[in-house]
Amino acid sequence: MNQTSRFAPYLYVAPLVALLLFVFGYPLVRIFEFSFKMVRGIDGPWIGLRNYELVLNQPLFWESVRHNLLLLLAVPFMVAWSLLIAVVLYERLKGWKLYRVVLFLPYILAIPIIAVIMKKLFQFNGPVNEVLRWIGLDFLALDWIGSSDVALWTVMLLIIWRESALGIILFLARMLSLDESLMEAAKLEGANWWQRVWHVIVPQMRVVMEFYIVTSVITILSAVFAYVYMIGGGRGGPGTSTMVVELYIFNALIRTSLPGIAAAVSVMLFLVSLLLIVPLFAARRRANEEETA
Amino acid sequence: MTGKWSFSRRDVLRTSAAAGAGVALGGMLPAWRARAAAELNMWWWGEQELPGLQAFVDDSVKKYTAATVKPMLQDTAVVISQFQTAAASGEAPDIQFLWNGIYHMESVWLGYLQPLNGLVSDAVIQASNPTLLSNFGGNTYRVGWYPLPMIWVYNKDAFDKAGLDGDKAPQTWDEFLAACEKLKSAGIAPVGGGIQDGYWGEWYFGHALAQNVDSAGETIGLFTGERDFREPKYHEHWVKLEELRKAGFFNSEMLSTELYPGIDLIVAGKVGMGLSVGSRVPADSKASNGRVGTMVMPVYGKGKLAGQPIFDSQGLGIAAKAKDPKGAAAFLEYLQSPDRLKAVHESTGWIPANKNFDVSVLTDATVKDMWQRWGLSPNIPYLSNLVPGQFYEQALLPTAQQVVEGKITGEQAGELAYNVAKEWRDFNPDIVENYKKWAVDLGG
Repeated sequence: MNQTSRFAPYLYVAPLVALLLFVFGYPLVRIFEFSFKMVRGIDGPWIGLRNYELVLNQPLFWESVRHNLLLLLAVPFMVAWSLLIAVVLYERLKGWKLYRVVLFLPYILAIPIIAVIMKKLFQFNGPVNEVLRWIGLDFLALDWIGSSDVALWTVMLLIIWRESALGIILFLARMLSLDESLMEAAKLEGANWWQRVWHVIVPQMRVVMEFYIVTSVITILSAVFAYVYMIGGGRGGPGTSTMVVELYIFNALIRTSLPGIAAAVSVMLFLVSLLLIVPLFAARRRANEEETA
Repeated sequence: MTGKWSFSRRDVLRTSAAAGAGVALGGMLPAWRARAAAELNMWWWGEQELPGLQAFVDDSVKKYTAATVKPMLQDTAVVISQFQTAAASGEAPDIQFLWNGIYHMESVWLGYLQPLNGLVSDAVIQASNPTLLSNFGGNTYRVGWYPLPMIWVYNKDAFDKAGLDGDKAPQTWDEFLAACEKLKSAGIAPVGGGIQDGYWGEWYFGHALAQNVDSAGETIGLFTGERDFREPKYHEHWVKLEELRKAGFFNSEMLSTELYPGIDLIVAGKVGMGLSVGSRVPADSKASNGRVGTMVMPVYGKGKLAGQPIFDSQGLGIAAKAKDPKGAAAFLEYLQSPDRLKAVHESTGWIPANKNFDVSVLTDATVKDMWQRWGLSPNIPYLSNLVPGQFYEQALLPTAQQVVEGKITGEQAGELAYNVAKEWRDFNPDIVENYKKWAVDLGG
């Protein structure tokens, strides 16, 4: 390989790398820089680790983290629900293509639209509770969005409902690409529905499930802002019961004029997300290697 | 190549002519500059809460001949940050919309706004009702634009139904509790509205803390650490809230209802009394056939501010590095002219903040009475506008929700507020000093 051909690939990708560095790299560097400054307006004095110290000693920050971690409980439900529905659709029930569209609909709709409707439905004297009271289930007529004991679970319900739509489509797409002869063989061997799902389908779904789990975890750690913003009255309420890390960052940046604090939390969130992306890439590499072998 | 860059005699003459023209144009530069300076940028907000304001701005800009004004309606979320970022990079507009109190005072402390005294005539500033919270270091930084009387409302039909006098709102806390009992007996939720989005807690704080303080400056001491929310008189307002909850006086859907739909419940007579804002009164009075009355929060406290009408206003100011401060000031004065004051009313159905507004155009007796009591009579500033952002988010809104829900007591709310105020001082040591200076302007 001569000198020119050795550098040629790098030259081809250089414009894109430069663009990426400008779009993502520069802001990232600035965020890291801001996290060590007491920013007022657009800059401020260097204060070392003080922002991190303040954040890590603040109960509200840890409460936000705890809420994010609680929301992670949604992930197993999302996986199980998506898998179940995908398997049912895979059975090609009559009208399964229509069901597929209907089930994917929540994912296409903007979160604020869904949340506004859900908020109306789940008001204390709203339609859901009216129906529950009408059928004699008064004990279930909770203050879904007004009680600090319940609001986070309402948010979780909304997340499961919407985010599962992606899981259903991903899983179904993978199932439709499976070798059907394996299923036929299992049937001929006398495997029942459950055995076919557990021993034939699920093992072949491992990669897509790993992908969905990791992306869902990342979503819940760093992309649930719209859900809590809408359901929690824009404030993470009632009280601070639906406050999550993203809303904490938003408040610090926009509402409390503390860009340095917002930057410090952003850096921590970025690093945690990065840690989660590593296993995702590892899983994909492993899958590729398995396929190649 | 060389031919391209060679000069003929004709070229030299042409160049000389061009240079001459340049010199001549240079001589005209001051005039050109004057014309360029007669272009003003105005970033504003308000259409979001006062529909029709856009029409007023467009009309005002169109009719103003002394300068070309370029208005830009800002998004709610970025009103402050957009201005501060622009100001920091020397690109601020000449005229900027300013919320009251701390919402513009931070920009003052950052040096992004300039005092209006000396630029805008004192008579105009005073008449525009900018309120005390626009003052810092003896200077005033805003002119008032449109008013926000902070009020309580009650439904007269609900009062009648409960055997109360619909034309007489309760004035003392005892009268208020008695009215609540009667409303409750009549099957009407006595008091409340909607607190799901938290703003009800802000309004309540503004009304109720005032009952136990003697000045706006005293309130600032609660944040700077010179006073303490744990002292009973500084959290009594949350204790009162707790008492109302325990008595079962709040409407059942209060926690899951937002602020404005909550006020709708009062207008509809489903809730007897609650918090509102003056700009809603024209529409609410019309919707209820004049059966919504306005009132000051019933008095329980012993502070000098107790029982007085609370007046707030939205305003406009001039950026420190405005390209043409005098031109900007002239436009602000133009917006306060009798013709423009009338135009505000015509475009929005609401009234301008200016005390010289001709009230004879008001046809609704409730609106007229409210403006007389809140806008033209002695009033006090809205104390919630003094609250630092961090305290607002982490104490002011959550505490009221938690007390109404029964999660914490009024006393615990005071403890929480104290802790958050302390946290705020740790996070913002530089701003604490400015707050202390501000307290001097506010009689602290």
